[in-house]
Amino acid sequence: MIKVDNISKTFGKLAVLHGISTTVERGEVVAIIGPSGSGKSTFLRCLNLLEVPTSGTITIDGVDITNPKTDMMQVRQRIGMVFQHFHLFPHMTVIDNITFAPMRVKGLSKEEARAKGLQLLERVGLADKADVYPSKLSGGQKQRVAIARSLAMDPDIMLFDEPTSALDPEMVKEVLAVIRDLASSGMTMLIVTHEMNFAREAADTIYFLDGGRLIERAAPEEFFVRPQSERAARFLEQVL
Amino acid sequence: MSKWFKRAVTSLAALLLLLGIIGGTGSGLLTAVTGSTLAIAEGAESTATTGGGQTIVMGTSPDYPPYENTDAKNGGKVVGLDIDIAQAIADKLGYKLEISGMDFSGLIAALQTERVDFVMSAMSVTEERKQSIDFSDSYYAARNTIVSKKDSGLTTMASLEGKNVGVQLGSTQEEAVAGMESTSKITKLDKIPNLIQEIKAGRMDAAIVEDAVAWGYTDANPDLQFTILDPNPNDLGYAIAFPKGSELTAQFNAELQKMKDNGELQAIIDKWFGALGQDDSKKVSKSGLDFSILDGYVGYIFKGIFVTLLFTFVSALFGFIWGAILSLFKISNIAPLRWFATAYTSVFRGTPLLLQLFLIYYATPQLFNYDIPALLAAGLAFGLNSAAYLSETIRGGIMAVDKGQREAAIALGIPYKTMMFSIILPQAVKNILPALVNECVALVKESSLVSVIGVADLMRRASVVQAATFRSFEALLLIGAIYYVLVLLLTSLAGLLERRMRRSD
Repeated sequence: MIKVDNISKTFGKLAVLHGISTTVERGEVVAIIGPSGSGKSTFLRCLNLLEVPTSGTITIDGVDITNPKTDMMQVRQRIGMVFQHFHLFPHMTVIDNITFAPMRVKGLSKEEARAKGLQLLERVGLADKADVYPSKLSGGQKQRVAIARSLAMDPDIMLFDEPTSALDPEMVKEVLAVIRDLASSGMTMLIVTHEMNFAREAADTIYFLDGGRLIERAAPEEFFVRPQSERAARFLEQVL
Repeated sequence: MSKWFKRAVTSLAALLLLLGIIGGTGSGLLTAVTGSTLAIAEGAESTATTGGGQTIVMGTSPDYPPYENTDAKNGGKVVGLDIDIAQAIADKLGYKLEISGMDFSGLIAALQTERVDFVMSAMSVTEERKQSIDFSDSYYAARNTIVSKKDSGLTTMASLEGKNVGVQLGSTQEEAVAGMESTSKITKLDKIPNLIQEIKAGRMDAAIVEDAVAWGYTDANPDLQFTILDPNPNDLGYAIAFPKGSELTAQFNAELQKMKDNGELQAIIDKWFGALGQDDSKKVSKSGLDFSILDGYVGYIFKGIFVTLLFTFVSALFGFIWGAILSLFKISNIAPLRWFATAYTSVFRGTPLLLQLFLIYYATPQLFNYDIPALLAAGLAFGLNSAAYLSETIRGGIMAVDKGQREAAIALGIPYKTMMFSIILPQAVKNILPALVNECVALVKESSLVSVIGVADLMRRASVVQAATFRSFEALLLIGAIYYVLVLLLTSLAGLLERRMRRSD
């Protein structure tokens, strides 16, 4: 479904990604792990062109999204993204946050969008919060709303950029539960995370990045039990 | 919040419509607002042969009683000596008379562009003016006077040697003091009320003004006196002005001569000059403040609140919308838009607002052949100027919105325009609300500048009342209080709005 071919990214003189290539199958759940500054987030952000790769190509369902002629708006509607700091729209209520893009981008009627939004809120366990403003929510609740907001666009792919890193420990569980539920529903997902246990049980594949390179790509039981590289072994020693 | 923006868009549409109305009907709305153009000849004889009921337009600057002034007490009609003479002549010739009020400095231009058919505005015949317009015979020769404090002893031109003497800028009295500049200090001010105030304050010893003016002011200010000077043999007197080669000149001269012969002209002159001494409302015993002189003028002044508010609203809204567009130019990826917005801000912030106002009002008719109404010119000038400041404020507000908001919108596939207007700008506006309120408050007060091009706002109406009452401070203090109350109301409204917008915090 996603084919990444030799992408590199430099910011000025700083090279962040060095020739990463991989493919992601439909329904595959990928957990991207690695030390800070290894390029995990940049890699993820390249997949919906929040960062434009300096070289290399990314193909999604046969469409080369790195080609400047591709209509990125169309592509992005199919790729949901959840951020570390939620980025809910603070001047809109929870339900308005969720229905805004479906109404304004996909042209859903207000009633359709709202019905769907309420259904999604139900799914993330926040049906009672539809009409409050984001400032009244806890971090975990905000992140669940952010997930519902992305899902409202019916994406084929979901990107999670450290979705639990900004949360208090007691909030992490509720958010991971939602993501896990989503993974089991067959959604194609890439998740940058520091939650090793979660990565191990929820992911189909682990990507280990270090120094801007994709060092290892393996099934969780393989990776966590028998890491191939010395760097991965050292990293696991430190975090586990 | 999208509702908020829908409302903004609706308001924009309303604004454009309003501008359209102002522009489209031309002097129509301007008239409604300034209240100075009045058809006053409903009873013109339809049987007369010459005019055949045609309408002729007279230009005048209605701030010079008893020749012409706005009768603020009675619905703002223009009345006076000149009006009565013009009416009498128009009646005899069978024309309908229409009065068009404007600044004195704009009268000759109005004749040359034939926006008016003739001008009567206590206009003296001078050689320079004869170069560009025609004059009728003179209908009245005013005498110069020396106005000074009582018991000052300044009663002859000789006694003014070494003194500080004032005249009105651009008046014929400038000639009277032309030879005195080496021996006395001559000060030229725009307005006669200011000359009078300078004398009362002791900063000026005397002023040379014409008799009718001296009469009115010494009457209203018992601490002043005046002495009539000998007639100047070179003074050609006041006359009616026409465009070069106008057919009206001969017709008017013939009627004027008849009125001189049968005493009708003298009767009109006596009526108006006699009235100066008889109007009890102007007789004031106190030399301090006396607000009772405003009796009858308050309604007229209060109508200016509407003009001031309308004007402030139009220019604030226009300034905000144009400022928001400019701020988007400034953060745009397209270099020419950025250059344009930067240059625009630089020019409009770098030059005086008053200058921009003058240029737009006086240059537009020449450059675009469009007779721009004063209120539209003022709204345009203030909006364009305000936008320059607001574009920087709004840009700052946009920059202060978290970068993540943009990324979240982009990731949802929301197009740039929708993102800016529905997500970024509402948050930016909330951030900069206090600065926006500042700008509105400044606009309310700066709006008083528009009185210079004749918009009948609060300031202009105060000037009219000053001229009519021959008193300086009372009307000014009243509008000062009105401005203050308007600003108070505005800030409390803004407080409410701010609380409403902080609902989401």
